[in-house]
Amino acid sequence: MNYQAALGLALPLGVGLAAVGSGIGLGMIGNGAMQAIGRQPEATARIQTAMIIIGAFAEALTIYAFVTVFLLSSKIS
Amino acid sequence: MGLEFLARVRHTAAIAGFVAALFAATYASYAVGIGVAVGVGWSIANLAMLQTIVLAMTGPGGGRSRVTLRAALAMAGTAGLLAVAAWLLPHLSLAGVAIGFTLPFAVMLLKAVSSVLLGSGAWRRLTASRWRPALLVALALVAAFAITDVVTRPLRAAPATSSTATLAQAGGEGAGTKAGGEHSANAEAGEQEEQGPPEFPTAVGVLARLGHGTAWGAFLHHDEAIVYSLLVALLLCIVFVTAAARSEKVPGGFTNVIEYLVETLHDFVCDILGPKYGPRFVPFLGSLFLYIWCMNLFGIIPFMKSPTSSLNVTLALALTVVLYVHFTAIKELGFIGWLDHLAGSPRSVVDWCLVPLMFPIHVIGELAKPVSLSCRLFGNIFGEDMLLVGFASLGVTALAATHLPFGIPLHFPFLFLALMTSTIQALVFTMLSTIYFLLMLPHDHGHGHEEGAHHAH
Repeated sequence: MNYQAALGLALPLGVGLAAVGSGIGLGMIGNGAMQAIGRQPEATARIQTAMIIIGAFAEALTIYAFVTVFLLSSKIS
Repeated sequence: MGLEFLARVRHTAAIAGFVAALFAATYASYAVGIGVAVGVGWSIANLAMLQTIVLAMTGPGGGRSRVTLRAALAMAGTAGLLAVAAWLLPHLSLAGVAIGFTLPFAVMLLKAVSSVLLGSGAWRRLTASRWRPALLVALALVAAFAITDVVTRPLRAAPATSSTATLAQAGGEGAGTKAGGEHSANAEAGEQEEQGPPEFPTAVGVLARLGHGTAWGAFLHHDEAIVYSLLVALLLCIVFVTAAARSEKVPGGFTNVIEYLVETLHDFVCDILGPKYGPRFVPFLGSLFLYIWCMNLFGIIPFMKSPTSSLNVTLALALTVVLYVHFTAIKELGFIGWLDHLAGSPRSVVDWCLVPLMFPIHVIGELAKPVSLSCRLFGNIFGEDMLLVGFASLGVTALAATHLPFGIPLHFPFLFLALMTSTIQALVFTMLSTIYFLLMLPHDHGHGHEEGAHHAH
């Protein structure tokens, strides 16, 4: 297997695996936000803001893998 | 007046010398850059010691023996510096050291000329209107560009040694067809348009292709992101200067919007940083948010590109923030206080024993900050860009068989996602920067929560 085949196999797999972790993390953030809103509907706006901001952090990790794909994709000939 | 002038000259010469050394290291070679730095340092030290000698000899002479001692030490210092420089000179580039040495004198001359100029009547007439100096600055920029074009023309004619030549080549060949053999003649893969990821054609890109082979064409092609970021900065300046120039008792529509923005940002920053430090950092953090937000949104405008879709721009922003945070920390906590903070604030014997572990962890955490800030913003905006390009290409491919001059705008829903992502990423960047400031500034509540807070990345 030459390096191009290895890259072609590994890059999408890497993004997919990173997305698994991010998906679980975002789900947990959503879960916490839903429970908090359920307990105290008056604080919905602040909880939503915090949820979106923390969601951006969790998403960033998959974005790092995504960026790596684009940086290396030119090497697949 | 004279001493203060000298102090200002030394200060300016240090900054100018740093910038000049960076320029020399980038565009000439590392040896020249180091030579310039050494020359400037030597010259400034010389000036400082000369000042000490003159003051000691001619100043108010209370305690003659002490000031004579200081003068003698300074003279010895000057001689010592001369010896060190003479020893180093064969190893350093002579041109660099010469340039560096004359730099403070050039600074001195320019300051003297400017202080004469500022008092004159011609200057008062020039600055009476707002637009005359702006025109002069624009003309000066154009002249500077033309001069550097002429000066670097022989360097650009040299084959394949300067990156501008290679890029002018790549720009010329990229506009035409690609052939297998031409790829090997060019530089790394990322510089060519056909091998990098596909992008929408932009106004600056079209201009660059019109001017390929010329210096400004190569500049526009290579520095497209920088041109756009300057354009965004210019637009923001125009909007805010116009808003600030209006002084109405009851603010109208436009001023109202700007005031609302500024107030929201002020409240946002002061909520996190507290009333003591908040107002100090509101200008920086508020401008950071607005700048990043506008840069992100620029990519949605047709024929424009987000400068933040280039890692260079986001890395520059992240490095600026992190360096400013550390500079503020050193200014507020003192140098020892800053080191103590980085070592985990050891207070007990156990803490002191843990310092060899905590210090590298904190340093690596600090190094991870600009990386994560820049990559998060870059990845999101670049990814959203790629998404738009991908779906637009899909839309064009869908109608390709019919040979119509347009395609289905399949990327339309993702424009709304782009709007949301742009705002959220600007907000996240600014919020993280504010929190980095908060972590570094002295806060009143105990240090116990610091370890938990430090692991937020």
